[in-house]
Amino acid sequence: MQIEVQPVSAAGQVQVSLDGELDALTAPKLYERLTQLVQQTPNLKKIILSCQRLTYLSSAGAGILLMCVDNFSPKGIMLELTQVQPEVYNILDLLGLTKLIPINHA
Amino acid sequence: MPKMALQFGATAENLPIIRHFVRTHLSKVVSNSLELNQITVAIEELCANSILHGNKEDAQKELRLELSVQGGEVHAYLYDPAPPYDIHSYPQEPRLLRAGTTRPGGFGIYLLRRFIDEIRVRRRKGGSSLYHLVKRLSSASEGC
Repeated sequence: MQIEVQPVSAAGQVQVSLDGELDALTAPKLYERLTQLVQQTPNLKKIILSCQRLTYLSSAGAGILLMCVDNFSPKGIMLELTQVQPEVYNILDLLGLTKLIPINHA
Repeated sequence: MPKMALQFGATAENLPIIRHFVRTHLSKVVSNSLELNQITVAIEELCANSILHGNKEDAQKELRLELSVQGGEVHAYLYDPAPPYDIHSYPQEPRLLRAGTTRPGGFGIYLLRRFIDEIRVRRRKGGSSLYHLVKRLSSASEGC
């Protein structure tokens, strides 16, 4: 999976584009990259994950997204998912993550 | 669809290969993309559990996945050298733990049980396992 991080805006928002499949193999890499971003960006307020090219999500991927919410929220950092494909949204919805994370459909 | 088989080592590196195998063969009979994804997720979750937990990512351990479609039902068989675990003993709902108390849990088993109509688990001679998943296809996919 490819992870592309855009520059952080003056308002403390950053867009991270995901391209590929989020599974037990790739989810730890995403968590590591986002954790690094949080540590290196003191004024970070919101991470927007652009999911237009995210074609697959397994339970491991969903678990990592939940861990991001749990670990970043106390730091005042919000996570948002945009352009989520129907197959990926279906998994997030069944696991209850659509109630915890702001998500926009593709 | 004739029975198709994939043999693979117990490493997470093989998860994309497993998904590709499932999609390639089932896309010929499952026309609904949401349903195809759900079956793919369920089979991958079963395989990932065996790879990561049952066989502790020992690439020397070989698993075999067989797929067939009969009478509007998808049948997936996973032959696993590790002893079986009781899928039905897990909680019905996933654990959405908050405030970083520990890792969330039960997502994979929950999705597997949600997407599959029947799950049969059998201990084989020598202590290995056979998991048999049955998914009845929706009318939108049947007869494709």
